[in-house]
Amino acid sequence: MPPEALELLVIAAAALAFAVVFAPATASRRALLVRGGAGLAGTAAIAAVPTLDLALLVLLVLGALHAAVAGTRSFAVRLRPPVIAVAMLALGLLLVRVEAPDLVARFGAVGLVAGMAAGVGVLPYLHPIEPDEALTASPVAWLGFIGPVLAVVLVFRAQGALPIQAGGVFGGMLVGLGLLNMAWGGVAAWRTADEVAAWRYSFVADWGLVLCGFGLTVADGQRAALLVLAGLLAGRLPLYLISRQAIREKTTTRRPINLVVAAALAGSAPFVGFGARILLLRASTQIYWPLALVLALVMLLWLPGSLRLGRSLGQPRGRQALGVALILAVNVAAGLYPLPLLAAARL
Amino acid sequence: MIQPAAGIVVWLGASMVVVGDGRRGLAAGIALSTLGLAVLAFVNAGPVAAAAIAAGGVTAAARRSVTGPAGWEVLAPGSTPRLVLCIATALVAFWIADAVTAGPVASLRFALMTGIALSAARVLSTAEPAAQLSASAVVALCAASVGAIGSSQPGVWPYVVGGLVAALLGWIPTRSPIAA
Repeated sequence: MPPEALELLVIAAAALAFAVVFAPATASRRALLVRGGAGLAGTAAIAAVPTLDLALLVLLVLGALHAAVAGTRSFAVRLRPPVIAVAMLALGLLLVRVEAPDLVARFGAVGLVAGMAAGVGVLPYLHPIEPDEALTASPVAWLGFIGPVLAVVLVFRAQGALPIQAGGVFGGMLVGLGLLNMAWGGVAAWRTADEVAAWRYSFVADWGLVLCGFGLTVADGQRAALLVLAGLLAGRLPLYLISRQAIREKTTTRRPINLVVAAALAGSAPFVGFGARILLLRASTQIYWPLALVLALVMLLWLPGSLRLGRSLGQPRGRQALGVALILAVNVAAGLYPLPLLAAARL
Repeated sequence: MIQPAAGIVVWLGASMVVVGDGRRGLAAGIALSTLGLAVLAFVNAGPVAAAAIAAGGVTAAARRSVTGPAGWEVLAPGSTPRLVLCIATALVAFWIADAVTAGPVASLRFALMTGIALSAARVLSTAEPAAQLSASAVVALCAASVGAIGSSQPGVWPYVVGGLVAALLGWIPTRSPIAA
């Protein structure tokens, strides 16, 4: 199992435990534990199997089981993304492995990136979202819980399978798709009418950073991607869970806690997102410095969306307030001293 | 001649899944795809791999023959675009498998490309869970066989797991959406 995937699995397990303990009273803790545990087991299986071929088959089962969970979207709508992801990944693998001109292997690389996007639920394959759907049945389960480990496994195993020239195409596709997701997610999280959709787009924007980090094939890029993924699991996902009650009650507040949460979501210092952004900018200067300018400009798009999401948290009380404090503390600790996270992943 | 025939049988099976709407038509599609893929697995990966694919595919087809919309419903009115898709996919896949790519397993390449592409198209184009799960079973069987491309001795585990996944997909409960 890649060490990055193992580390993210541990963080995902911690996020699940957090969700069970600090979930709003309206949520069913038992359902969270059972469905989250099943999702975690499936994700662990994706990381644990020795080949990408087996990981695709596990992904197919996990996707079908997730589609069967009771939700407000139809079974057919929820089954499509994982099956399309597996189909594109399988076609990509086939084209990468055949004896053929380089061009075919490059098409294979495109298939692998497109399959990963479909599996995680980022552009150009955003999963349809229903505001009232339970978190465990919604596309956020893929974006914020299963997706991080899935992406790490796919990227690291695919990079090993690709010939050199196709590897370049793979990285370039990831960077291009990452920029698209950052820009689209940042603007949509700010401008969309629905608060749940705004949270979803904020996940998409973070995934843009991850894809750029993976695409920049230098150590700093991989480090940045890992820190953003850790931030997704240990920051954005639990904050979204806590905000769901305030969103349902249509409560928005402008207290200091909302500003602090907005700062964490925007990736400002001293939270973990800040270190990730610095590493990403440094990685881009090592590859092609004008890219750093574009990235820095696109990163500004996080600000208005994050302020909005911070307000949507409402005013957490009791157990939820404790949960928010814990999330912020963990994110500050990881932002100030990210070395243990990186060392555990051997980066 | 066995391998080219098996490749064409896989395409025929996937096409049946695309143009069929009733459970018998879908089950026949899975069974045909299974037959072709099992023959290709036997030639490329040995009897254990072929047995795994055959067992998984037959179980999936048997399960499908008793669940889903009744009847055959093959080439029902309005299915002409799907038929055209099947023929066009076969032509493109044949060109890629035979002329663009090289190597000893052209039939397997053709079978996998048509099987995966047609099944994915079916999943995208229908809202009927029986058809979607049938197409997903074909995707699982094809994805299990991808390991044989570019490898002289593919392991049997992908075939075993692929067969299991294809069989399991028949038992996935398909609930209607609940009100918010």
